[in-house]
Amino acid sequence: MIAERKRHRTTIPFDGRARAASVAAILLVTVAACTKESRTIGPEQPQTPPNGPADPRTRYFEGNAYQVSQGGRYFTWYGCGSCHGDNAAGTLDLAVDLRQRPLRFDQLYSAIARGHVHIGIDYGSKIPTEQLWQISAYVASLPRLKPERRHREDLDEAGEPRGVTWSGPVR
Amino acid sequence: MRSRPAIAATLALGGCSGAQTPLAPVADQAGSQYHLLLLMLWVCGVMYLLVIGFLIIGLWRARGRHAAAPPPLLEPADDRLRRLLAVWAAVVVIGLLVLAGGSFLVERSLALAQANESLRIRVTAHQYWWRIAYRDPASGRWVETANELHLPVARTARIELGSADVIHSFWVPNISGKMDVIPGRANAIDLTPRRLGWFRGQCAEFCGPQHAHMGFDVKVETSAAFDAWLAAQARPAAAPRDAEQARGMEVVTREQCAMCHTVRGTAAIGRNGPDLTHIGSRHSIAAGTLTMTRAHLQGWIAQPQAIKPGTMMPTVTLSPADANAAAAYLESLK
Repeated sequence: MIAERKRHRTTIPFDGRARAASVAAILLVTVAACTKESRTIGPEQPQTPPNGPADPRTRYFEGNAYQVSQGGRYFTWYGCGSCHGDNAAGTLDLAVDLRQRPLRFDQLYSAIARGHVHIGIDYGSKIPTEQLWQISAYVASLPRLKPERRHREDLDEAGEPRGVTWSGPVR
Repeated sequence: MRSRPAIAATLALGGCSGAQTPLAPVADQAGSQYHLLLLMLWVCGVMYLLVIGFLIIGLWRARGRHAAAPPPLLEPADDRLRRLLAVWAAVVVIGLLVLAGGSFLVERSLALAQANESLRIRVTAHQYWWRIAYRDPASGRWVETANELHLPVARTARIELGSADVIHSFWVPNISGKMDVIPGRANAIDLTPRRLGWFRGQCAEFCGPQHAHMGFDVKVETSAAFDAWLAAQARPAAAPRDAEQARGMEVVTREQCAMCHTVRGTAAIGRNGPDLTHIGSRHSIAAGTLTMTRAHLQGWIAQPQAIKPGTMMPTVTLSPADANAAAAYLESLK
């Protein structure tokens, strides 16, 4: 058995080196993925809405997995799903609507912050600025999100508060 | 300098008494677990001393013989040795049986349905705070509070645990062992406290960057005091008493705070954060992070991310005068 293994090793001289290289490559790819969630925790955060299409903060929020998923959380918490949830149709179905009529990030932000006044809610003054940035990043990601993925995210958040009628987590 | 180890030992032992230690049990559940710990300590301690003792005797008797040729490996023909080995095996088996038996009995007593389980308390773990709900005996409605668990002495309370987000663990060391809080599962734990006082609970399963600041206070009080406390909690919030508090109420119940917080009896009906109806009556704020004072409230409103980085409480942009008024109002909510 041992002799067999030895023979095997001699026939493929780069076996060990190739293995080490592939392990290093996998580690590198894994570690690189961490930057998708990079964030500074602490008091610094956006205090103002986007100042236009070229606001440099936009790229960070749209590309950061943590900010997008926090946005999804607040989307649930504030009961957005009661109109824009799975059963939404027409312009209320955000994924479909944004695919047909794409909005820039700053337009999306103001649509959320100021676009609900006609139904009696001024989210711009009710929801803190940082959370509006996160919710906008989440909504901007919806057209790119596969339905299965969105469904799974909904399941992950099944126990979280949703709107003022929430009565407790799933038990 | 020779006293340094003594000081270190004293400090370490000092940690054994207090409001958050399993070594000073004040409830039936923690008491039986403490006795199990002592049993394990004794059984394992005696076995350890025996093994080390025999090893020392063996080494002592073998001294000076190391140069000789190793003895041939043969079955021991020595009858005395064989009898001693049988006794040793019996000691090991008895020790293990005592441990298994003790553990079985304690586990059974913890899982047993208690005769007095009339008090149900719902505890929901959220990332970095605890939602706590009691049923009001007068109206039958659930009354919510946060981060402060009140228990009547000598009565069993059944804590029904649920998680809103990730896995947490409910642990009040002086009162009971840990119980994990798993999303989508209904776990429960019984608590029968026997001594009055303030104790401290803590999330015992890493749940995110502010896991360490996910504590809660536990107050064990007399039955009458508990009933009075619950009746007070069930009442709606107190009305503001001066102009500053009135402005504070306006800020808290009409602006950003109300998106997440409830102040019963006002327009604030948010469900995402802790109920603030009687926040002024609580021992601490931000899940055991700060003691309840006006200054701490103000600091928490102004810069939650500086005090507890990663908390779900966002920084809201309030003018200093409004933040001041909000703190004055919240402090008045006894």
